[in-house]
Amino acid sequence: MNPRSWRAKLVRSGLVALVVVYCLFPIYFMLVQSLKTAQEDVFGNPLIVLNPSFENFEELFERSGPVRGFVGSALRRSYPFLDWIENTLVVFAGTVALTLVASVAAAYALGRLQPPGFRWWRRIILATYVIPQTILFVPLYQVVNTFGLDDNLLALLLVYPTMAIPFCVWILSAYFQQLPREIEDAALIEGASRATAFFRIILPMSRPVLVAAGIFTLGTIASDLTIASLFLLNTHNQTIPAGLGTMEVALDELAAVAGINLMAIPVVIISACFARGYVRGLTAAMVEGS
Amino acid sequence: MRPTQRRRDIRTAYLLLSPVVILLLAVLAYPVAWEIWTSFTAYSPLQDGATTFVGLQNYRQQLADPQFWLAAAVTLIYAVVTIVAKLALGLGFALLLSRPFRGRALVFLAVFLPWAYPASVSVIGWYWTLNPPIPTAYAAFMGGVKYAVDGVLGGGAWAFISVSLFNIWRGSSFIGVLLLAGMNAIPLELFEYALLESKSPWQRFRMVTLPLLRPFLALGVFLSLTSAFADLANVWMLTAGRIVFPVIGTQAYWLAIHGGQLGAASAWSLSLVPLLLGALLVLFRLFDRPEGEAA
Repeated sequence: MNPRSWRAKLVRSGLVALVVVYCLFPIYFMLVQSLKTAQEDVFGNPLIVLNPSFENFEELFERSGPVRGFVGSALRRSYPFLDWIENTLVVFAGTVALTLVASVAAAYALGRLQPPGFRWWRRIILATYVIPQTILFVPLYQVVNTFGLDDNLLALLLVYPTMAIPFCVWILSAYFQQLPREIEDAALIEGASRATAFFRIILPMSRPVLVAAGIFTLGTIASDLTIASLFLLNTHNQTIPAGLGTMEVALDELAAVAGINLMAIPVVIISACFARGYVRGLTAAMVEGS
Repeated sequence: MRPTQRRRDIRTAYLLLSPVVILLLAVLAYPVAWEIWTSFTAYSPLQDGATTFVGLQNYRQQLADPQFWLAAAVTLIYAVVTIVAKLALGLGFALLLSRPFRGRALVFLAVFLPWAYPASVSVIGWYWTLNPPIPTAYAAFMGGVKYAVDGVLGGGAWAFISVSLFNIWRGSSFIGVLLLAGMNAIPLELFEYALLESKSPWQRFRMVTLPLLRPFLALGVFLSLTSAFADLANVWMLTAGRIVFPVIGTQAYWLAIHGGQLGAASAWSLSLVPLLLGALLVLFRLFDRPEGEAA
């Protein structure tokens, strides 16, 4: 090997190491944090954990154990973490399903059936992202109240899909549009209906793009804290982010970090499983005229 | 196609569009209309009696307010700095990952994680890590940084910077993955052809990679622009408004929640719309050219 390529390789490995540290350090830090005892949190080295323990995680589930550390029992609150997990599951699964069904329907209409002005439909749907969420919650609260969904998980099922639908409709319709017409025509000539052609031919083909849309939806709604905290007030109705947001961090910092990890781990595992499909789907959706 | 078939297709199309349209109308149209209307009034929940219509007064006051221009400048700087950083880092990630090397799959996962890690909770961890509330082992160090930065830039600056860093950390991951998807779409022959044409890697990057990545770059810029403002909102919720650094979004919250001046707050938050719409129109030219889609 000549010295030049050897050097190039070294630079490359250095860059790779840098990227990995940059991406993973905050996650590593939170993981280490959550495994610490209160003692070690205050006096130990911030970067490593010497005596890992799961007591912060246990604390989230039952808070009746003996008082430890310097926090008196009077100051402790208990958190219905199991309820939060259940609520989060319902909201996330529901939103992803709802978003995908609605987006696929709209995307098929725009990309395949192409009603007049379909390009403008797509653009206007994507343009809804420019609406500033800032104080939108005031009128949104009126809407939610009108439907009688105050302090109800269904309020999130109403609002969350609108955060992901514009992007999902965009990529799905771009993908449907660039599929050649012959794909459906063969089936239509055989006498199949458009619906059959869709479910038997187009839908199976578009699995990667559906995965991309689903992962995007999950990532987007998992990033919301504002709407969840505003609309879910009763502690038993909250999702994990909303609940963690109400924790008194000065007292329960370690339990909060443990909660962060508990929420993150399943989402990360799901995303990691589909990460490759996500990239493939984005590629498939954006390639023009192939 | 036969005209009756076409007419039936169009009807089906509208039927299929209706769930999305109804959802968007219910969740967005009324609130936006409400916000626009309120911005022309002196509406306040703290006052009894009928709401008075004040026309453009809120806007006039806002434009005369030096606070607004300060907030607008900070907002603009925040948006530009985070986007440039996210694009630069994301492009770097994508270029690094576009060629095979040992362990690429794992490095790719590492790049994907900051975005996949749910931001609603990582922002909590991130914020409290950089602004530690209690005497943890690193609190003294972070406190030192905080006071040094706040001393130079004004109160709340460090908290604001920590939000920007979070936005960059997460956004660079999203853009990196998006651009990687874009690079995968470039046919290999094009790279081989470019290799014959030009010796300089920079030239090849500029002539082949960049133009073909354009739709991905534009979409990434647009999405990260909107997410940059959502992150600010998250931190606002988290700290119950303790971030007082003047940005248009947080100032609008301040007016609405602490001041009860919903009219003025609406005007403030709507002042971002023309900017974002303008950006979107420019970006549409880049990633949705009509002539390219005629096929």
